[in-house]
Amino acid sequence: MSSALSISKIRELNEEYGMFYSIGDGKGLDGSRFHFSAKDNLTTKDHPTTAGSKILSNYRPPFDAAAVERLREAGGVLLGKTSMDEFGFGTFSVNSAFEVPRNPYDRDRSCGGSSGGAACAAALIDGHLALGVSTGGSISCPAAFCGVFGFTPTYGRVSRYGLLDYGNSLDKIGMLAADCATIAELFPLIAGADERDPTSCGHPPMGECRIPASIGIPSESIKGLPPGIRKSFDEAVTKLKDDMGIEVRTLEMPMFRYAQPAYYIIATSEASTNLARYGGMRYGARGKDLGLHFDRYFTSVRSENFGAEAKRRILLGTFTRMVGLRDRYYLRALQVRQAVIEEYRRAFKDVDAVLTPTMPFIAPRFNEVAGMSALEIYLADHLTIPPNLSGMPHLNIPCGYVEGMPVGMQLVADHWDEGCLLQAGMEWGKLFERIRPEAMI
Amino acid sequence: MKIGLEIHVQLPTRSKMFCACPTDGVTPNSAICPTCLGMPGARPSLNRAALEMGLRLAKLYDCKIPERTWFSRKTYFYPDLAKHFQVTQYDNPVGEYGVFDFRGKPIRIRRVHLEEDPGRIKRVGRQGEEMSLVDYNRSGIPLVEIVTEPDLSNPAEARQFLSDMLTEIRHTIGLSDENEQSVRVDCNISVGIERVEVKNVTGLRNMERALKYELVRQTKMLRSKKPIVRETRRFDEERKVTLPARKKEFEEDYGYIGEPDLGVYNIRALAESLDEKESPLARAKRLCEEYGMAEGTSRQLINTSMGLCDLFEEMAAAAGTKASLYLVTDVISSNWSKIKDLLDEDMRAEIIEVARLYSDASVNDIEARRRLRALFSEDEVAETGSAVRGDPKLLEDAVEKAVTANPGIFEDYAKNDRAANRLIGDVINSTKGAFSSQEIVLKVKERLERDL
Repeated sequence: MSSALSISKIRELNEEYGMFYSIGDGKGLDGSRFHFSAKDNLTTKDHPTTAGSKILSNYRPPFDAAAVERLREAGGVLLGKTSMDEFGFGTFSVNSAFEVPRNPYDRDRSCGGSSGGAACAAALIDGHLALGVSTGGSISCPAAFCGVFGFTPTYGRVSRYGLLDYGNSLDKIGMLAADCATIAELFPLIAGADERDPTSCGHPPMGECRIPASIGIPSESIKGLPPGIRKSFDEAVTKLKDDMGIEVRTLEMPMFRYAQPAYYIIATSEASTNLARYGGMRYGARGKDLGLHFDRYFTSVRSENFGAEAKRRILLGTFTRMVGLRDRYYLRALQVRQAVIEEYRRAFKDVDAVLTPTMPFIAPRFNEVAGMSALEIYLADHLTIPPNLSGMPHLNIPCGYVEGMPVGMQLVADHWDEGCLLQAGMEWGKLFERIRPEAMI
Repeated sequence: MKIGLEIHVQLPTRSKMFCACPTDGVTPNSAICPTCLGMPGARPSLNRAALEMGLRLAKLYDCKIPERTWFSRKTYFYPDLAKHFQVTQYDNPVGEYGVFDFRGKPIRIRRVHLEEDPGRIKRVGRQGEEMSLVDYNRSGIPLVEIVTEPDLSNPAEARQFLSDMLTEIRHTIGLSDENEQSVRVDCNISVGIERVEVKNVTGLRNMERALKYELVRQTKMLRSKKPIVRETRRFDEERKVTLPARKKEFEEDYGYIGEPDLGVYNIRALAESLDEKESPLARAKRLCEEYGMAEGTSRQLINTSMGLCDLFEEMAAAAGTKASLYLVTDVISSNWSKIKDLLDEDMRAEIIEVARLYSDASVNDIEARRRLRALFSEDEVAETGSAVRGDPKLLEDAVEKAVTANPGIFEDYAKNDRAANRLIGDVINSTKGAFSSQEIVLKVKERLERDL
């Protein structure tokens, strides 16, 4: 481990980039096997855990999340908790009650979200491993904007014990790092069944893998891309063909267009029930007037402490599961999810992996983000949502730069076949020249 | 009048439904963990025992059991509900479309489903400065909810029905009597067209009272041509009246969605693998048919214990029905609370031996009872060795002695022939099993009639 890394350096860096919500004392850092950070929606005994929300101000959980616990047991040192959109609700990490992380390549730009702090830390701290969480693209998106590898495993591969839920049937804990080999080495530590999360699964274990022999590109995914992104993506595809010997085909995946509405319905339906528990009774923010009737007490705490996007998603999710609407929205969305899974399965009969660009634009400036409507922001996720909705493992691979900002491509494999993604990422890493951010430590 | 019931019974599992906390916590908030407190990041894992008990009940009512079952979130805000949603079953519960044979009248069972209990709220403090405290020991204790169709027709019948149901439930899932006190019922009742729901009534007696109150109230309203509104009411146990419940508490849209932290359970095979024990009421019916027992007797036996029924059937196989039934309904029943813990193989064999001797008239009834009593009690020593068939002269002497010891017996007997029992008791005691009760009764009556 590089002895040059110190907590004081990280604190200095954090002043400029705001990637950490909370930084530890660095005990055991010298001589440790590796250092890592955890997104602030993963519980930690020795740090507050807020998921970027005021409603959990200063909340100190009584237990470590399974992924954090396993990395610690393996000799990793937790540097701190990374900043994020409140409960994961966002694409630019600006929906936070606390720190907003700034892009490693341009501090006036967003890191992406919702694991923005994680991607920023992975880009700026040498050899760092960042635990991220993805519900609809919250690992791929910031990894693309910050120019790092962002790995989202199959749903169920990693125990969600200790994760503050957004959409339980969609949430996946994954990893971000500048070097794919870091992920490939450390990911097996957190994978596998855990009896504290019945949806976690050990089947089948990750084994030795080869890179995909063939890749399909859905024609839907490259329509209407800005020319810079398109050029960068096309060059990367050429490299995959010529330098890595991968066969590339074009696919039609028309179900993709339904993935997005289905995703937002399922995610917000689940989120609105998950967030019900935050009422200022046993932990987190407290209301001022304990004499209020319970209904009004809960309402006062929630009105005061949830951010605007959290409120929007609670409203949306409550609406989609109401009597009379549940059939039209929530149940229909579950069917769409199944149809998207089937569409992937069809594709995987012909090719080993599916490739798309990750984001349809480079990291936007904060003033551009401020001018976007909620719907425009939701639509920005249209390439990251299909694999997330269907629980397919995927990897953001840095593939080029436009205007000095990183561009990423996203490789998707079949359920439980994530090994081939990491292998491909490592091979690519040998061919691709990363531009290191100036502020890197 | 139509009555339908929603019956909630706590399942007697050792740990809670979705966590490892014990179910018998006494000190408030002593049996709690991050899961049953709904702490962020904690998750449920299903207690298999609870699922099995739910399936056993579904089978008991001959329900249609689906191939797959799952849980749902029922969202509402209440201080005793840790997550502000209750994990329950909405679609595909463990059983649907069953039936309960209530003394020959089929009562349809709409569904059987599993859910978690919320915590308990306690109001403390003087009036004007009351506080609410929440005890989460109950949070996450498994419940089964059994919903009937409105097939019951009056409060007394509903009470009988619930009592029969509880007999069956107790046996099927091993519920103890004290758990029964915690049975909670929501009653749907309609005298006219609109139905009224009385929520959260505890115990048999309160349920009958609540139903009777509603019957009178709704009948009066109909007579005076006032409309009955469809509403939710609650039962005030102190004043024994039903009152309109605050709308907010019950008339919500619960926004059910699947519980994504738990899987889908393939239950058909599990349900089939569960052995079906004969239910108490089925056994009562069989006892009547097979042994020619009176209905009241068979109910008395099942109500005492299924273990007593087992003993009876063993005895009947070795010593015949008549002798066994006499001993079981008499001396064994009355000593059952003492016997049930002592009953090992040796004791069973001895009991059966006494029944056999009594059956082939080797010993008379009094001797048989004496021997059994001696077997059940350490203080009482059987004075056996007396002649099995005593000398008739001894009996005459014993009767004379009893007459002398009971002055005024003839006057009393003239007024009421039950006075003879005094003499009979004395003679039974003094002859120590040498004569059967039949012989003694005959002799005593003879003596009294002679000098009347």
